[in-house]
Amino acid sequence: MAEYRLDCLGEACPVPLLKTQKKMAELQVGDILIVEVDHSCAMKNVPEWARKEGHNVEIEEIGEGEWDIYIEKAK
Amino acid sequence: MEMEKKTLDYDVAIIGGGPAGLTAGIYCGRARLKTILFEKSLVGGLATYTDEIENYPGFDTPQKGIELMRKFEAQAKRFGVEFKLTDVKAVRLLADGRKLVETFRVNYRVKAVIIATGGKPRLTGAQNEEDFLYDKGISFCATCDAAYYTGKEVLIVGSGDAAIEEGLFLTKFARKVKVSVIHDEGILDANKVAQEQAFANPKMEFIWNTVVEEYRGQERLETVVLRNTKTGELLPVQVDGVFLFIGYLPNTQLFEGLIALNERGYVITNEKMETNVEGIYAAGDVREKSLRQVATAVGDGAIAAVAAEQYIAETEYLRDRLLSGDKPKLLYVWEPTNERCRQLLPVIEELNRVFQEKVALEKVDVYKSQSIVTKLCGQMPPDLPAVVAVVDGEVKDVVCTGLDAAKLHQLVRGLVAD
Repeated sequence: MAEYRLDCLGEACPVPLLKTQKKMAELQVGDILIVEVDHSCAMKNVPEWARKEGHNVEIEEIGEGEWDIYIEKAK
Repeated sequence: MEMEKKTLDYDVAIIGGGPAGLTAGIYCGRARLKTILFEKSLVGGLATYTDEIENYPGFDTPQKGIELMRKFEAQAKRFGVEFKLTDVKAVRLLADGRKLVETFRVNYRVKAVIIATGGKPRLTGAQNEEDFLYDKGISFCATCDAAYYTGKEVLIVGSGDAAIEEGLFLTKFARKVKVSVIHDEGILDANKVAQEQAFANPKMEFIWNTVVEEYRGQERLETVVLRNTKTGELLPVQVDGVFLFIGYLPNTQLFEGLIALNERGYVITNEKMETNVEGIYAAGDVREKSLRQVATAVGDGAIAAVAAEQYIAETEYLRDRLLSGDKPKLLYVWEPTNERCRQLLPVIEELNRVFQEKVALEKVDVYKSQSIVTKLCGQMPPDLPAVVAVVDGEVKDVVCTGLDAAKLHQLVRGLVAD
């Protein structure tokens, strides 16, 4: 179970979601991807997409307007 | 490898971080309740999808939805509300009346739950819709995606406030904003101010009597095929993106089978925001109600929080005071303005003096709390005074007819014999 980080700081939609989708495809089940975002739009579509795919998602607010999205690959 | 789930205790769990949930948080926090708020993505809910909110009282200039919500959030945090950015997997009822709110890693055991999960945008159901969701051309949030469409062409579907207002916002970025309207020419559902602005805006173009038939494109959306509802004619429209504003569906799948929902899936509540399950409340867009606005969500949130606070206080008073103690109890349910209640009061005082070693006598004033009396007696006693016999923390008997001095003596002696 490896942990990866994806730096999407400064990136506007749709870039964070596209990068997340590409990276998730490379991960093994059980791996965790931490997506770093600071655009609120990414907070809407990245977690929603990941949950729809069946992955487990938790978010941590790092600072005002900056978040780490934890995605555990479930399948 | 399954991690052992830990369980944490809180007074109140609020599910959903939009205006209703945040307001409930402000009120719960200020009532010194230990409160946790769950939000699955961005705090602020659907209000953050709105570019400008100009009808929320107290702000005389238009506010960015996201900024107004940041103020709500900061206010809730000031009162000690804890935020957890994750989705709730299930809500279950526990045997002791508490509720269990389950998330991915942690279970939360709480005394009351406030459901403020709001709504999600409706889809058209047209062909290939699924293929273009998630940044492939179909969007629900103009503020999120407007910049991406700078200099491009977009299509709006819908004609309500959100459709027209967000369409106007998009004209600041897009080259052209077409609007597919289901109604006859000239008819929009939006408010008059928005309509006037839209009809006067040269970048906006209306396509009347149409609905979406099909989405087409390679990787991204390229064409939306509209169908004329009168003639059946198909009209392919070349677009860079489409924005759907055709209403919302309640986020209540999680609560099916737990609480009563109406036929459209909205939570049914009474005026106190109570659902049909004790200790579970609903507030905001998720409720069956007539107007879904930030202004109405705020009112719901406040009411739900105060109702939850009262419920917790009464439940604890009932358990820790009225139903507790090592002796049998006789509770005298009375109303100070009731003549008969007052007449029997000296008898109660006398019995208390004589039997206080063996039986605890306590007065419960109906005027002070109807709901405590209702819980105690199972219903509001049809006649007052009433007495409730309590043995081992449980109600053994409720008597509300034929009460006189002799009957009271008999009841107390019965409890002594127990």
